[in-house]
Amino acid sequence: MNDKLLHKYLNNEISPEELQQLKDSEVYRDYLKIAEAAKNLETPAYHNERVWQKIRSATHNKPKVISLQWKSLLKYAAVVAVIISALLFFNTGIETVEAGIAEQKSFTLPDQSEVVLNADSKISYNEKKWNKNRSLNLEGEAYFNVAKGKTFKVETSLGTVTVLGTRFNVLSRQNYFHVSCYEGIVTVNFDNINIQLTEGNSVIIEAGKVVAQPFISVSQPGWMFQESTFENSSIRLVLDELKRQYNIQVTLKNVDESLRFTGAFTHNNLESALKTICLPLQLNYSIDDQGNVTVYGQQ
Amino acid sequence: MSNPDNVCKESVFNSLFKKLSPSLYNFIYFKCGDEKQAEDLVQDAFIKLWKKCAKVPHAKAKSFLYTVCNNAFLNDYAHKKVVLKYNSNITQKINEQTPEYLMEEKEFGERLQKAIEQLTEAQRTAFLMNRIEGKKYSEIAEILDISVKAVEKRISQALASLRKEVKNI
Repeated sequence: MNDKLLHKYLNNEISPEELQQLKDSEVYRDYLKIAEAAKNLETPAYHNERVWQKIRSATHNKPKVISLQWKSLLKYAAVVAVIISALLFFNTGIETVEAGIAEQKSFTLPDQSEVVLNADSKISYNEKKWNKNRSLNLEGEAYFNVAKGKTFKVETSLGTVTVLGTRFNVLSRQNYFHVSCYEGIVTVNFDNINIQLTEGNSVIIEAGKVVAQPFISVSQPGWMFQESTFENSSIRLVLDELKRQYNIQVTLKNVDESLRFTGAFTHNNLESALKTICLPLQLNYSIDDQGNVTVYGQQ
Repeated sequence: MSNPDNVCKESVFNSLFKKLSPSLYNFIYFKCGDEKQAEDLVQDAFIKLWKKCAKVPHAKAKSFLYTVCNNAFLNDYAHKKVVLKYNSNITQKINEQTPEYLMEEKEFGERLQKAIEQLTEAQRTAFLMNRIEGKKYSEIAEILDISVKAVEKRISQALASLRKEVKNI
């Protein structure tokens, strides 16, 4: 009958008069005693730090600090690792596809997703487990046209790109990470930061920082049409790509490395590619007998 | 993208963990009485939150965590027998510290612990969230996804049943 007052008491909203009223009843006196005693009960100690460490190790793939007691287990782990890697060596299902310098390669994954590798790039994935786990490793640059289905993951040393089914391009070289979305939605993860890209957007991450998010006006990356395109990229990056596409050596002399280039060069004509790069930046170049290039800065 | 409250940010995620995980742990413990399970479920819930961090807005993180725990509980643990081991820590009033009083208090605490074990999971969870956690009925209602009236009912029933048990022994 007085439960309303009881609930007020339990919510700390009761007035002294109401409390007195409650105490007049024997039943409610018992309730108050029980309620007060229950406040003194405790749950077992909760180990905040321990749980956090477990969560962190599950969410981070980075190497962890190994505490002393684990060290004795390491030798067993090493033996197990050797056995496992021996087994994997003979029975892996790991496929590797590589495009050499001045080469491009296109191939199809087991689920009919299409991949085009740009020059000097490599992809590896587990063919046997592909249908369970659509995940591959990329070094370099590649364009993907992903068949609809389960999550599709591209892992690189600079971050991870996750999609369901879509077309996108991933470039991961040295500390330069550039992801472009041509259709659908892709999620880019690096340093625990997630960025979602929708159709026509791209993100450039240099040395772990987002430096630009240019829009894309074309429907496929330029390099697939024998052109390399750049958006405010460092001269070093541009010339590295030139080396990859033409299989040449490039030497810099007095070139200011902070120069940045926006534009595209062709893969079919070295002379004209060099002009496209050097003219707007007021650089000069020469090509020797072996076809190797020297780029000169202004004195 | 650079939302300061983005759950995907390590610092935001960590502060959510510090703020919410002790209560979440208690919540599961009230349900199952198993420390190990409570710890595991807290861990799993936060790992799930991390994986879905891009999709869960900051304001929804709490209800996400409780929902994940509740679901995991329904899936895996609902039918286990609940045995609670509470550490009673009855604080005595100085002027009442006679040996008789202490005996009585200790005994009362023990009887209460036994009685709490006998409650239904729903009654126990609501009652202890209010008593041990100090949560208001409105917050309990939100977490359990029931009405405030339903919380009142569960707690009334809990107290009636506890009184009966404590007197019986």
